[in-house]
Amino acid sequence: MINFKKSLDRRTFLRGSGVAVALPFLGAMVPSLTAFAQTAANRPRRIGFVYVPNGLVMTDKLDLWTPKKAGHDFDLSYVLEPLAKHKDRLTVVSGLLGADGSGQHSGACTAWLTDSFPKKTQGVDVEAGISLDQVLAKKIAGNTVFPTMELAIEDTTNLVGACDTGYSCSYMNTISWANPKTPLPMQVNPRVVFEMMFGGTGTAEQRRARFQQNRSILDSVLEETHRLEARVGAPDKARVADYLENIREVEKRIQRAEARTGELAGSTVASPSGIPEQFPDHVELMFDLLHVAYQTDLTRIATFMMARELSSIAYPQIGVREQHHSISHHSNNPEFMEKKGKIDQYHALLFSKFVDKMAATQDGDGTLLDHTLLVYGAGMSNGNEHLKKSLPYAIVSGFVKGNRHIQIDKTKDRPVGDLHIDIARHMGVELDRFGRSEGGSVGLT
Amino acid sequence: MRVSRILLAVVSATLCGGVANAQSGSDAATYKSMIDQYCVDCHDPIENRGGLSLDDVDFTKVSQHAKIFERVVTKMRGASMPPVGKPRPDPATYDKFASWLETELDKTAAVKPNPGRPALYRLNREEYKNVVRDMLALNVDVKALMAPDNSSYGFDNVADVLNISPALLEGYLAAADRISAMAIGDPDLPREDSVYRVNQRLSQNEHIEGLPLGTRGGLAIEHYFPLDGTYEISTTFLKNTLSVIRGLEFPHQFEISVDGKQVKLITMGGTSDYSRLLENADEVRAAVEERARVRVPLTAGSHRIVLTFLQKTGAVEVDQLQPFESINFDPVYIGGIPSVEGALIRGPFDAKAPSVETPSRKVVFSCKPKSTRDEAKCADQILSKLARTAYRRPVNDTDMKVLREFYAQGRQSKGTFEGGIQMGLRRILSSPDFIFRMEKDPQGIAAATPFRISDLELASRLSFFLWSSAPDAELLDIAAKGKLSDNKVLEQQVRRMLADPRSESLATNFASQWLRLRNLDSQQPDSYMFPNFDEGLREAFRTETLMFFDSIMRDDRNVVDLLTADYTFMNERLARHYGVKGIYGSDFRRVKLDDVARRGLLGQGTFLMVTALPTRTSPVKRGAWVLENLLANPPPSPPDNVPALKENAIDTLDREPLRVRLERHRADPGCAACHNIMDPIGFSLEVFDGIGTKRAKDEGGLAIDSSGSLASGKKINGVNELRDVIAKNPERYMSAFTEKLLTYALGRGLEYYDMPVVRNIVKTSEHDNYRFSSVVMEIVKSTPFQMKMSAGKGELSASAGQPAKPVQ
Repeated sequence: MINFKKSLDRRTFLRGSGVAVALPFLGAMVPSLTAFAQTAANRPRRIGFVYVPNGLVMTDKLDLWTPKKAGHDFDLSYVLEPLAKHKDRLTVVSGLLGADGSGQHSGACTAWLTDSFPKKTQGVDVEAGISLDQVLAKKIAGNTVFPTMELAIEDTTNLVGACDTGYSCSYMNTISWANPKTPLPMQVNPRVVFEMMFGGTGTAEQRRARFQQNRSILDSVLEETHRLEARVGAPDKARVADYLENIREVEKRIQRAEARTGELAGSTVASPSGIPEQFPDHVELMFDLLHVAYQTDLTRIATFMMARELSSIAYPQIGVREQHHSISHHSNNPEFMEKKGKIDQYHALLFSKFVDKMAATQDGDGTLLDHTLLVYGAGMSNGNEHLKKSLPYAIVSGFVKGNRHIQIDKTKDRPVGDLHIDIARHMGVELDRFGRSEGGSVGLT
Repeated sequence: MRVSRILLAVVSATLCGGVANAQSGSDAATYKSMIDQYCVDCHDPIENRGGLSLDDVDFTKVSQHAKIFERVVTKMRGASMPPVGKPRPDPATYDKFASWLETELDKTAAVKPNPGRPALYRLNREEYKNVVRDMLALNVDVKALMAPDNSSYGFDNVADVLNISPALLEGYLAAADRISAMAIGDPDLPREDSVYRVNQRLSQNEHIEGLPLGTRGGLAIEHYFPLDGTYEISTTFLKNTLSVIRGLEFPHQFEISVDGKQVKLITMGGTSDYSRLLENADEVRAAVEERARVRVPLTAGSHRIVLTFLQKTGAVEVDQLQPFESINFDPVYIGGIPSVEGALIRGPFDAKAPSVETPSRKVVFSCKPKSTRDEAKCADQILSKLARTAYRRPVNDTDMKVLREFYAQGRQSKGTFEGGIQMGLRRILSSPDFIFRMEKDPQGIAAATPFRISDLELASRLSFFLWSSAPDAELLDIAAKGKLSDNKVLEQQVRRMLADPRSESLATNFASQWLRLRNLDSQQPDSYMFPNFDEGLREAFRTETLMFFDSIMRDDRNVVDLLTADYTFMNERLARHYGVKGIYGSDFRRVKLDDVARRGLLGQGTFLMVTALPTRTSPVKRGAWVLENLLANPPPSPPDNVPALKENAIDTLDREPLRVRLERHRADPGCAACHNIMDPIGFSLEVFDGIGTKRAKDEGGLAIDSSGSLASGKKINGVNELRDVIAKNPERYMSAFTEKLLTYALGRGLEYYDMPVVRNIVKTSEHDNYRFSSVVMEIVKSTPFQMKMSAGKGELSASAGQPAKPVQ
């Protein structure tokens, strides 16, 4: 086993030092926000998708992810050990086919939530498929301020020029697609996320004024854009139309936000100072923000890339000095496989702490986890060879029967969309088809 | 008129440089049979290797198959087809065939140019930041305001993928709010925390560039204080994993200064701190950090905060005696000397409106109303001036009507004239005219017809190309008067803009991306394999390459000098790394390079490190990098499911040379076609390790073997011979440079129909010794830069996403 104590100590100390990374006031503002949320009799269902990159150690000889036993009461694998205390609510689904044979890393993150292949292009015709979070948003986002939230850890700017040959970096920057042609940017800066959530900093009056001003600016911009539309050529019209649609969406968000966070009377909201230097602190802060967003019903649907494909983060705090991507190509060398496994388990550990928090948070007559479905996994099985067969998915949820390993026969090449349709059903959304799936079910009950 | 002048230029260039071909028909037959003999085994409709069939293309109609033939030209110019080892025509015939194809393709392009059509441009983060800097004299941290941009074709300014999302729009709105408040100095700006961090792997044992002499370590912060008020500066110090501040055994003096004036001097460490350290580290930490905390009254504007240690005289500091450059990572180490971990600036407390004119206020308030009656007129003047810069065009009545509304709104709600201006500015920064770079099609133009963009649009293309920012007043005035279409005026402007400091964006944005300098940050050399790597070295690499590129540009040298120049830029840290003697101090200076191997980009740490793995070099990555960035022949992506290379375990003695392992990999014919071209290039660079140190033995202790043979069959040995091959016949290198710069200039990927333009730029700039400015000038004058295809059928197929340089 790996000793994580050291890294925890480090984190605690950072908290204690003068450079604040935590959000002590978040807790304080939650009550006034939840007061509204708590009045609803039925707690809404929330969903979150947490992605980890570069596949896992899943070779024929050594599989650190897939439980050996199928069905009820399965054995926890090495990577999933940190989720042991939530095993009753844990379902592992294996054997589904991702975007095998397409875009080494682009295909991984693209297909995980869309069940579509990335089109090999760097041009304006970037295309994949709508992602499940976005499909669900159309049905169950309700009156939340943010129909969906997209979060990530790594700024993708350092990747320029180093993405899969022939594929736009757009594919690797996100797992969320508004439609087959529109990849959605993921926010990496907690400060940006925070200010988005709470309408910026300042007193309640200042925030209220800002909402009003922004609405009036958007009205005026909308008018201006209509004038512009006439001026531009046909291909540009599509982008202008897109822009118009986005303006309307932001207007709606502001209205909903006004109704919600406008109530934070008297409190001065200060935002986090930026991106924490340490990876685990950054991850935890993003999870904290998401936790609050769920708790206060600012959003019900979120995606989170804990790292991106080709990630070059090294993890000296757990004894892995190599960069994640390099070590993921372990060439079946046992030492390297062990290190890749350590990283994967470490990611699962950070995720499990978020699950702990969800399970410990009251929500209506139960806990937040009771009303939430979290999907965790990767877009490749064997990262060493970029294989996208038997994609790893783990589901932790209060309303999905847990303690199960659903093992699909991988020779049947059933698309991951079969799982997505099941997930959607749990969220109260019936889909006839999704991605490549024509309506199959993996039996997620 | 304009169209035909450009056409003429292209035609004449082609005729001069081209080969006369009265016998085009018989040539076609000859070359067709050559293709049949050497190529169609693989490239027939059945095998269809790389998705390319040459069986059914009509050689008498090259123009109709331009897309296919450009692929053929690329492969032939890279000498990469037929694959190494397969029969090829003799070199003279091979070359003649490639020239014939190029000539045929160029002829067609001259008659029927296709300037392409970039998508609607949106400012990316970098451009947004620069425009705000130039317009409002304000530096903003855009990363704290909006989500990262997408990129394609190796650049983040490619319009195709700069799409829009609600999150992005919210980012723009928030940015407009914040920036307008900062520029004006809105007294209601909320108090906030700004954190600055020192990279924990940066050694602070010596003097740091830009800090006062006689100091050691620390950091300098150029912080913008939007308002008058009191600000609190706190410092944190480097600790081990048990939260113990390092280096407190002996006393050290730590100083905080603002604009060169000391505002705090403390002693930390020594007997009293150290004796309590082992009992209660938390208390000592809190006490030391409390001791270093200071509150200072400051006026609005930019101030330079320096946090640093005073250098002890005479005595050698403990850490300077350690054998390696990298800082000590022992998790429980408490020795050494203290270092700064980070600083937090919090404020303002007791905020007041600026009492002094900040640079932003000076720019914004070009007039001041003497009485309420003057206000409307002055507001008009201020806002129309700002809008002109922001919209990059003359302002019209409709614009002003909108801005007056917002001015009135702010004037009323804030109760001040300045509040009105702030609101107007916020509206300007939220405008689609600011966020997008609109280019209009002429009224009534037929579909898919090339047209010349307007002078104002050209001005924007020019400034975003050369400055990554908006046109300044001079350029805008000239364009508004319709003078920019005069080639002489255009030339003057290009020269003026290249000489302006803002053209540094060609280094920081263009070269940074072309040479993958930005990827330096994600490299993590293994600290056991490379104990001499530290953050100071990473920064030195970056500075070296940026200054080197900048000097080639500013001195207007031959672009080939980027490979061959006998000088570079170094400070002491880098000189020590490169084994150059006699360079002292942290500042960078131009140094003549006696060691030929170290000359040019191929000998610089940036290239050598971004292409390495954490524990070793990667000849494959280096080879691929050279092919793509210096030889215009990017290798295709590896197939999915490739068997990975067998690595040597770090600690085993059973080491097999990398060369042997790669050779085994190449035994697979599926891998060989590309690796035969990439690997020898990489091996010729093996004399440099993964962080660019020269070496005689590889990671496994085996002697370096730098020999190999290139795709053309030419044998080379070592970096000098590789450089010679590239630099002595520089057409391929110049094509690579031109393709990259043109992609960046146009903000779109290149298509097959752009290749004649690239060839023409290379040919023409050769007459001027490939001077940097001549390549830039030819790009600016080129058809795709000056023109655009009108919307409609034809245009769609043109941008239908197939990369110009075939990737398979």
